Amino acid sequence: MSMTESDFTSARPRLDTVPAGDPRDRGGKAQPLLIVENLAKHFPIKNGLFGRKRGAVRAVDDVSFVILKGETLGVVGESGCGKSTLARLLMRLMPLTDGHLVFDGDPVEALRGLSLKEFRRNVQMVFQDSSSSLNPRMPIIDSVAFGPRAHKVKRSAARRAAAALLEKVGLSPAMFGGRYPHELSGGQKQRVNIARALALEPRLLILDEAVSALDKSVAAQVLNLLRYLKRHLNLTYVFISHDLGVVQYLSDRILVMYLGQVVEIGPAADVYSAPKHPYTQALLASQLSMDPGRRIEQAPVSGDPPSPANPPSGCRFHTRCPFSEAVCAAKAPAFGDAMDAAIHLARCHLTDPTSGHSLAGSALSSLRITAPETSAA
Amino acid sequence: MTDAAALSVSALPAGALPRSRGYLATVRRRLRYDYVTLFFLLVILLIAGAAIFAPLLTPIDPLKTSMAFRLKPIGYRNFLLGTDELGRDMFSRLLHGGRMSLLMGVVPVAIASVIGSCLGVIAGYAGGKINTAIMRTVDVFYAFPSVLLAVAISGTMGGGVANGLLALTLVFIPPICRVSETATNQVRHLDFVDAARASGAAAYRIIFYHVLSNIAAPVFIYASSLISVSILLAAGLSFLGLGVTPPTPDWGQMLANLRQAIYVQPLVCALPGIAIFVTSLSFNMLSDGLRQAMDVKS
Repeated sequence: MSMTESDFTSARPRLDTVPAGDPRDRGGKAQPLLIVENLAKHFPIKNGLFGRKRGAVRAVDDVSFVILKGETLGVVGESGCGKSTLARLLMRLMPLTDGHLVFDGDPVEALRGLSLKEFRRNVQMVFQDSSSSLNPRMPIIDSVAFGPRAHKVKRSAARRAAAALLEKVGLSPAMFGGRYPHELSGGQKQRVNIARALALEPRLLILDEAVSALDKSVAAQVLNLLRYLKRHLNLTYVFISHDLGVVQYLSDRILVMYLGQVVEIGPAADVYSAPKHPYTQALLASQLSMDPGRRIEQAPVSGDPPSPANPPSGCRFHTRCPFSEAVCAAKAPAFGDAMDAAIHLARCHLTDPTSGHSLAGSALSSLRITAPETSAA
Repeated sequence: MTDAAALSVSALPAGALPRSRGYLATVRRRLRYDYVTLFFLLVILLIAGAAIFAPLLTPIDPLKTSMAFRLKPIGYRNFLLGTDELGRDMFSRLLHGGRMSLLMGVVPVAIASVIGSCLGVIAGYAGGKINTAIMRTVDVFYAFPSVLLAVAISGTMGGGVANGLLALTLVFIPPICRVSETATNQVRHLDFVDAARASGAAAYRIIFYHVLSNIAAPVFIYASSLISVSILLAAGLSFLGLGVTPPTPDWGQMLANLRQAIYVQPLVCALPGIAIFVTSLSFNMLSDGLRQAMDVKS
């Protein structure tokens, strides 16, 4: 399968991935599977003995987006930008500071909405660290059967279902079912993790760096498995990774995060071919090329990201942006309607002709990236 | 992997899964070649067997005194290990005393393990204010040296086996609670607990299936090392006149009473001490061997 197989020339994301007549579908094709509104997670920084609150790390700050039925939403960004916190928030593994989720038209944990337990049945997660995500004292078949057992499925039925799932992810239940995690390789463990996540028949699967810890060849097998499973089980993926190549291979749409915020979101082909945010452009430029002639001599963005406890004023990227001007530090750029999945949005003054930035309105691809000025802090 | 391979469904006999070598089997296999641990396990089994079957093994009543045969040496007539200061048979008293010492060694640790690990797991899993409340309370008890605490508790409540057991149990709850809390805290932040939470399982279910199995080894190993401490503390209590009351034989009390006769029959007087030493050493060595055998690789 080549990388260019998924060809998204149309601006409007395809909805035909949603098969007609999924019995679990409630809101119809056009209803996004998950609406994320103003999601925020601030970790308090406590002071000394009495734990007075001194400030907060804004790990995820006012994040809104939608996930369409049947798509794969790729989430990219450098380390510490809040990708994993976002995953845990979507899974509701930690309390939200702010914001709410709407799953297929039903608000989560609201009056007349979906209960947390119901929500978690529909949304499952595959963790990055394949070894710590399996109980070392439990045979893997029981790890897979644990979720259904928690939902009152009989032991024998849960084990039979788990065996079928192991078969589906390419592990013979007769050979592997009774094994313990330390008897499996990294790729096999990740297959078990995928089987475990699928055991509750979820509709949305959050893959948090699911293949990042694997060897390239094994990662490719797991990616192909994920594609196969998505087709056959009507799944929707949120694929979180720092590996841009892998995200491009799998994703229909891309969400770029920087310092806890969404800086760009749009169809994968558009984001990869014509990024609108200088940060995305820099991320893409930082990808190593297979062609030695196109060797990168200079890092496209220098320095470390600023602390999310004390984010820069205005545009959060202005301290490292090659096109930074006074307006960037002064006011935060506007972001369009994040509820419309079809449009390609960027949180940058360059995209807004009225922003007052001298280069506003010009296409980013026409601008040459220069080394960021060190004084631009 | 191709789609075809993933699609191939082999007929699976329901419920019939060949199990791989489990955790306990691994531990057993490791122990089988650990001859030192096996030797001390054998010693403990011998001591326990001798204590349990003491009435069958000893022809002489351990409580029967005789002014004629006081402080006789080892092997005197039919007194296999001599007699004590009241002319009672030492062999018989040592075996019967072993019952009390093993009881005082094992029972408080067992009860404290259950209570202590319950508290520790709750504190470790809940975290936050519940953790603070439980652990700081436990710390108050932990701040006292264990001997002092045991003496204080059983001194307040008076002597007797029941009070001695209670005192020792209270002494061992804090350390076991701390060990299980630490172990729980480590497990709680691993991804498989998050995955279990994500599956919508209730807290008790996660604790039962995911936490307990992973903290059992450290708690068990630690508790087994406490058995020898408990035997020594019990001996200390009865040495001080707390705990077991005369004339019931008990190693600590025997040691206390015989110390006046140390210049008359040094070997006989040393016997209860040797018994305490050998028993607690064996439990220590056993727990050390178990620690190695139960070492997890995840």
